[in-house]
Amino acid sequence: MIWFLLALHAAVVVIVASIGAHVGRRVLWLAAIPMAATALWSITRLTSSSTVTATLDWVPGLGVNLEFRVDAMGSLLSVLVSGIGALVCVYAVGYFSAGAANMGRFAATLLAFSAAMVGLVWADSVWTLFIFWELTSITSFLLVGFKHTDPVARTAARRALVITAGGGLSLLAGFVFFVDAAGTARLSEITPITGSTATAAAILILVAAATKSAQFPFHVWLPGAMAAPTPVSAYLHSATMVKAGVILVAVIAPAFQDTGVWKPLGLAFGLTTMVWGAVGALRHVDAKLILAWGTVSQLGLLIALLAIGTPKATFAAISILVAHAVFKAALFMVVGEVDVRAGTRNINDLSGLRRSMPVTFVVAVVSGASMAGVPPLLGFPAKESAIEATLGLDGTEFLLVGGLIIAGSALTVAYTVRLLVGMFASSAPMIDREVAPRRLAMTSPEMILAGASFVGFVALGWVSDVVRSAVVTVAPKAEVYSLLRWPGLTDAFLISVGVVAVGVVFGALLARRRAVSGPVARGAANVDWSIDGVGRLARQVAARVQHGSLPLYLATMLLVVCVAAVPFVGAIDTATLYWWDNRAEAVLVLMIVATSVAATTVSSRLGAALVLGGVGFSVAGLFVAHGAPDLVLTQLLVETVIVVGFVVGLGRLATRFPTPTRLWFVGRIVLSAAAAAAVGLALAGGAGSQVGEAPIRDLAETAQTDGGGKNVVNVVLTDTRALDTLGEVIVLMVVSVGILTLSMRRRRDQGRDGTERVAS
Amino acid sequence: MISHTSPIVALAVRAVTPVALVVAAYVLFTGHNAPGGGFAAGLMLGAIIVLRTIAGISRPRGAPTWLAVGGGIVGAVAIAPLLWGEPLLDQVVVSWDVPVLGTVKTGSALLFDLGVVAVVVGLVIALLDGLDAGSLVDRGRPDDGARERSDRKVTGS
Repeated sequence: MIWFLLALHAAVVVIVASIGAHVGRRVLWLAAIPMAATALWSITRLTSSSTVTATLDWVPGLGVNLEFRVDAMGSLLSVLVSGIGALVCVYAVGYFSAGAANMGRFAATLLAFSAAMVGLVWADSVWTLFIFWELTSITSFLLVGFKHTDPVARTAARRALVITAGGGLSLLAGFVFFVDAAGTARLSEITPITGSTATAAAILILVAAATKSAQFPFHVWLPGAMAAPTPVSAYLHSATMVKAGVILVAVIAPAFQDTGVWKPLGLAFGLTTMVWGAVGALRHVDAKLILAWGTVSQLGLLIALLAIGTPKATFAAISILVAHAVFKAALFMVVGEVDVRAGTRNINDLSGLRRSMPVTFVVAVVSGASMAGVPPLLGFPAKESAIEATLGLDGTEFLLVGGLIIAGSALTVAYTVRLLVGMFASSAPMIDREVAPRRLAMTSPEMILAGASFVGFVALGWVSDVVRSAVVTVAPKAEVYSLLRWPGLTDAFLISVGVVAVGVVFGALLARRRAVSGPVARGAANVDWSIDGVGRLARQVAARVQHGSLPLYLATMLLVVCVAAVPFVGAIDTATLYWWDNRAEAVLVLMIVATSVAATTVSSRLGAALVLGGVGFSVAGLFVAHGAPDLVLTQLLVETVIVVGFVVGLGRLATRFPTPTRLWFVGRIVLSAAAAAAVGLALAGGAGSQVGEAPIRDLAETAQTDGGGKNVVNVVLTDTRALDTLGEVIVLMVVSVGILTLSMRRRRDQGRDGTERVAS
Repeated sequence: MISHTSPIVALAVRAVTPVALVVAAYVLFTGHNAPGGGFAAGLMLGAIIVLRTIAGISRPRGAPTWLAVGGGIVGAVAIAPLLWGEPLLDQVVVSWDVPVLGTVKTGSALLFDLGVVAVVVGLVIALLDGLDAGSLVDRGRPDDGARERSDRKVTGS
């Protein structure tokens, strides 16, 4: 079933991508099918205790296999991923206008992301997880940059890719350390590990999770990612992809509980992010950015809870993860609908949508209340369990962690109130904005998600069972906990009441004070500046090194040859050196020397080319003297082609060489002599250091028996060492493609010059 | 360009073309047992193509096709053995009796060499293309202005 669902995703991606151009936005219905199928299958497995596995050997020698394992946790997460994905597809049908372009690309990328995310939550081997982790980064990049003509979207996409893919590298290194320390790549076989390798792995994996889940200071990419169409923001950047880091921390935490660094570092990431995100959400005026910063804050809370590491805290984290995915996706959809129908997302310009968009208003209030942790909604018991978990901590830890989490909750209530009041309440100067008519495709997914927040509270026993069986897979001791509809007048409940009260007052006050515009994204600007800086540096270095002077390139290469020959000087064994095998060689060498000298003194270019050919033919003569007919044939042919090739090439140049300056003239002579000496010395050194017998006898035998040919050279080329020949063929092809590309480009440039001339 | 001054060269190149084709084919087929092989045959064809260009007989063209065909053949011969569970690039030798030639022994190595021929020819045509040799055939000698410009660019010292 695992393979079938993944293959279904892949197949539909291809179909959607190819028919999208003709079908338009309706292609999203098709993209929703694999997601819905996956969600339904996962729902049937939610509370079942059995697991489904699938394995495909990939590189067995390295222990790298594609391994999937769908347990209770995997099922729960894939219900969220695929279920919300299907709803987002439906929503997107309403979000995009009828004639929207590139719908095939959009639907295909969205579905590809969904497949990658499902693969990620089902992965059992860390290598499998890594592959799907990177795939989500890439699809996220493509989706953020969906409006590829918009420079803002392009910059945001690049920023997101650099940060998340950089995190991917950290993850890879972390996994290498992890597998080394744990002795297994399977997530289901995790045991606690300690030691310096484990510590390094813990840090690297936490950093990777922090980049993906937008933890301070890596959070800067997430608000920028809001340049994507709102369905993407609702799906990737609130409900699913940004949870990948949280999920990773949750499933791998049992391994690192005992390393000293895991908990403090995780808490530092989580708590800072939670507070900073909430502050950000209070400062912005773009409703979508408020939600994005709110997401950053919530992700911080999740990481902090998981870092605490008690079964109770893990249970609370997974509960909040579920509740958050439901209400945050709905809120993003609301903002997207407001954007489409009212034409703006700026809460300063919006007012009184309560009357003109009643359905949306109800959805927003229900989901917002769930986010603020108000009963009777799913967010309430989840938030309650989190506060309950922090109350279990002792002394200073409670003061710091608990205090910050409670303060963060109050801020969450505050920005929720500010957002809702800003969009829906009437305020003096802007009464009742005109809005476009409602679209059913947008409203129904919103209502389903808002309904889920409510039904989740009504059917809390079932939700509690589902979450518990998922949490038990990573924290077995969590089986005693459950979500409570009415906890009674406990400390946690009293704190909750206080949190909501403070938050409402604070939020209402802030909503009244209208900020002119949001803060400048300084962190994001710094990231962009660094990325551009690398590009600038590369251009400067390239301009310095790739100066374009052919003689200087040649001189550089020869200098390197001279330096490289130095070690060979010591290896020369004069006893093995002798003058010649037969006298003809002496004559041929004299010919080579004579033609070489002539080549440097001839002043006509064509003449030099011909004399150079003479050098080549004399070398072929040397091969004859040594009895190597294959080499002779090849050498003669190569020289022939080169000489006639020169005739073609020289047609474009002046017939005579330019007169060199004195310095260059002397320098050339010195350099040539040095290079010649270097090559000569290296060959002499090589001749004296033969190791073992020459393999000619073996080759000659196998040529007859295995290769079925009498010409050893050719059998070596086409059979014995055919892989080398294959490599050479590839090199030739690469060179040819390079030449063709250059000449194509030149032709295009000439064409452009031509048209300009015509125009003037 | 030379053809504009020397019809003798053009005629000679025309005359030698079929001979060179036969020799190239011979070199290719005999390669397994005597000096020769795909690279040599390819160079022979390449030399003829260059000569025909110089003589103004035909424009060199179709480099991408040659490269694609050659690369395809070489790749296919390399990968095909995997389908039968043999190692990469494994050789098959076949021999059969042909009326005039007697027993002919050949193998997939010949096919491999054929791919090499195509790639080498493709490379030579690409080089000619890079040197803008086609314009020699069309226009004869390039104008002096162009000569001066490229002169400055290439020598640089």
